[in-house]
Amino acid sequence: MKKETIIGMGVVLLGFLAVSFSFGAEPIKVGIIDTYTGPATAYTFDVLDGFKMAVNKVNAMEGGLGKKIEFLTRDEKFKPDIGLAMAKELVLRENVDILMGTINSATALAVSDFAKKEKTPFFVTFSKSDKITGEQGHRYVFQITENTLMAGRAAAFALAKKPFVKYWIAGDDYEYGHAIADGVWNQLKKLKPVVQLLGKSWWKVGETDFTPYITAILAAKPDFIIVATGGSGMVNFQKAAKATGLAQKVPFYQHTAIELSTLEPQGLDAPEGVYGTANYLFYYPDTPENKAFVQEFRNTYNRYPKIGALYGYVTGVLVEKGFAKAGKVDKEKFINAVQGMVIDSPVGKLELRACDHQLMLPMFFGVTKKVPQYPFLIASDIVTIPPKDYMPACEEIKTLRK
Amino acid sequence: MEFLSSICPPEILCQILVGLSRMTILFIVASGLTLILGVLRIPNIAHGSLYMIGAFVAFSVSKWFGGGTTGFWMAVVLAPFAVALLSLVVERGIFAHLYEREHLMLLLLTFSFALILGDLVKVVWGGEYRTVQLPGSFKGPIPVESLPIPIYNIFLVIIGPFVALGLWFFTNKTKIGKISRAAAVDREMVGAVGINVSWVFAIVFVIGCFLAGMGGALVSPIVNITLGMDHTLIMEAFLIVIMGGLGNVWGALLGALIFGLTQSLGILIWPQFGIVFPYAAAVTVLLFRPTGLLKSTW
Repeated sequence: MKKETIIGMGVVLLGFLAVSFSFGAEPIKVGIIDTYTGPATAYTFDVLDGFKMAVNKVNAMEGGLGKKIEFLTRDEKFKPDIGLAMAKELVLRENVDILMGTINSATALAVSDFAKKEKTPFFVTFSKSDKITGEQGHRYVFQITENTLMAGRAAAFALAKKPFVKYWIAGDDYEYGHAIADGVWNQLKKLKPVVQLLGKSWWKVGETDFTPYITAILAAKPDFIIVATGGSGMVNFQKAAKATGLAQKVPFYQHTAIELSTLEPQGLDAPEGVYGTANYLFYYPDTPENKAFVQEFRNTYNRYPKIGALYGYVTGVLVEKGFAKAGKVDKEKFINAVQGMVIDSPVGKLELRACDHQLMLPMFFGVTKKVPQYPFLIASDIVTIPPKDYMPACEEIKTLRK
Repeated sequence: MEFLSSICPPEILCQILVGLSRMTILFIVASGLTLILGVLRIPNIAHGSLYMIGAFVAFSVSKWFGGGTTGFWMAVVLAPFAVALLSLVVERGIFAHLYEREHLMLLLLTFSFALILGDLVKVVWGGEYRTVQLPGSFKGPIPVESLPIPIYNIFLVIIGPFVALGLWFFTNKTKIGKISRAAAVDREMVGAVGINVSWVFAIVFVIGCFLAGMGGALVSPIVNITLGMDHTLIMEAFLIVIMGGLGNVWGALLGALIFGLTQSLGILIWPQFGIVFPYAAAVTVLLFRPTGLLKSTW
């Protein structure tokens, strides 16, 4: 054989090797659709940062599959039609292996429907609609957060043990508000039939001044108020509760009232004695895992992790572990691997339930309190409600999906 | 009858006072909007964004001065000026060249500004929720057991008339105010008698935006300062301006009064559907007086 031929063949072989090598290094692609405009950013930036933290860790040590995880972000501006168009773009043009997001329930349901058609796994990271893993659940959708039904049941579980009888319900006049309120109230009536409802008030989403609502509620003299607000209304309501003196007169509950997103912006002016539930508190449980997570997050972003950070981080871990267990980048194999998987997290072992693809998170119930360590209020008297106590059973999900 | 007997005087008084404090904020913002609409003929959709910037600047100023009493007063005084300065730049740089264009063009332009300013706020202040600390003397409710009204809301009720008085003084007693009223009626005529209309417009625009900033600064201690707070307010402000009569400052006062009171009293009467009342009032007003309650300058 001529010397030139050997060199030529060598070059071709090397070329093949390079091609196959680059195939091996092809990253796992995650497409993130979320709201990065408007008030929702107070939550979504933490999801992204938590996810980045998990991904950077994986990429630094080449992950379980020897592949890097790459991600693309898209701002759906809190609009379902834009969100759906972006999901299509990410799957059809960018060929992402995984979709994740969004804080908007309508977007989440629209993308979930699309993910089912395209057979692409979709991780819902903040939307609280109980339809996602409930009646509209399917093989390709996973829910990392608690939903309105679960939050309501968890709160009712804790409130049933309190002495309050005469209740008032107040909240944002949209699906989330009504769903949380119904979730608490229906379960509370079941657990404690003596409770009575004095009345309800509903305000428009985005209401900023709650003073006239609070003064009207005080006139009705209830024992306890279930406040079903979300987003920026959380802070607005607490400020008005403090200013009107409501917090000292009538105790009230808000889902995520004890969460850092709600308490940190108010500093020491937040009202004490507000009941709330949340899936994550950076100071509780006081375990080495949680401490390490908080330390790492603070070192990277110079702030305390909020609830979204946990959701984002856990999603990153699930993506990595799922593909590592599947052994290759295959969407069906990934789903088979990830459903039912148990992972370590800052809040302990978490199972991604196989029957409905809902992550089983503990729920913390507590009361806001001033402490000397922090320049903002934190939760005290924390009760941990295990997931089995507030999650709908697999049989319930089955009947819902029929 | 049962619900009627439950409404006894202290509750009603309480709702009226709370409604009046809401009126103050709505009036301050809507009067600026209507002033610009009346004189410059610009339906300024970005007015809400300037209100939001007012609140964010108030947050930064208050933080700069270490919060508390000093921080609060500096914020309330400085934030409107910061907004006024920003609006002067925008007016001289862009609007001044476009007054001859159609209303629709100007409407689109202000809409684009609302989007740009919204993103600007996100770039400068980020997505986090912010709040301004109240001075100690303003914290909590007034010391009357049956009236759970925040002290700060009473402060707002007192501030309202002063702003209205100041505006009355400006439009009726100052030369520039008189010229601007004339310019609102006939722009060309004012130019023909040798007055530099362009600068009159600039001053009116800046005063209108100053009011937006002032509304934002005054509301900053009682609300959660967040992206998107502009959208909620601009709707209400436009409704008030239309209800009162386009371009009429006193119409804005009347509109804000109706809006504030129907809202707070409606909540007491029928809490489940309290949000309907101010809008039902607006519909009623426009059914009987399609051009608004007072004389429109358009």
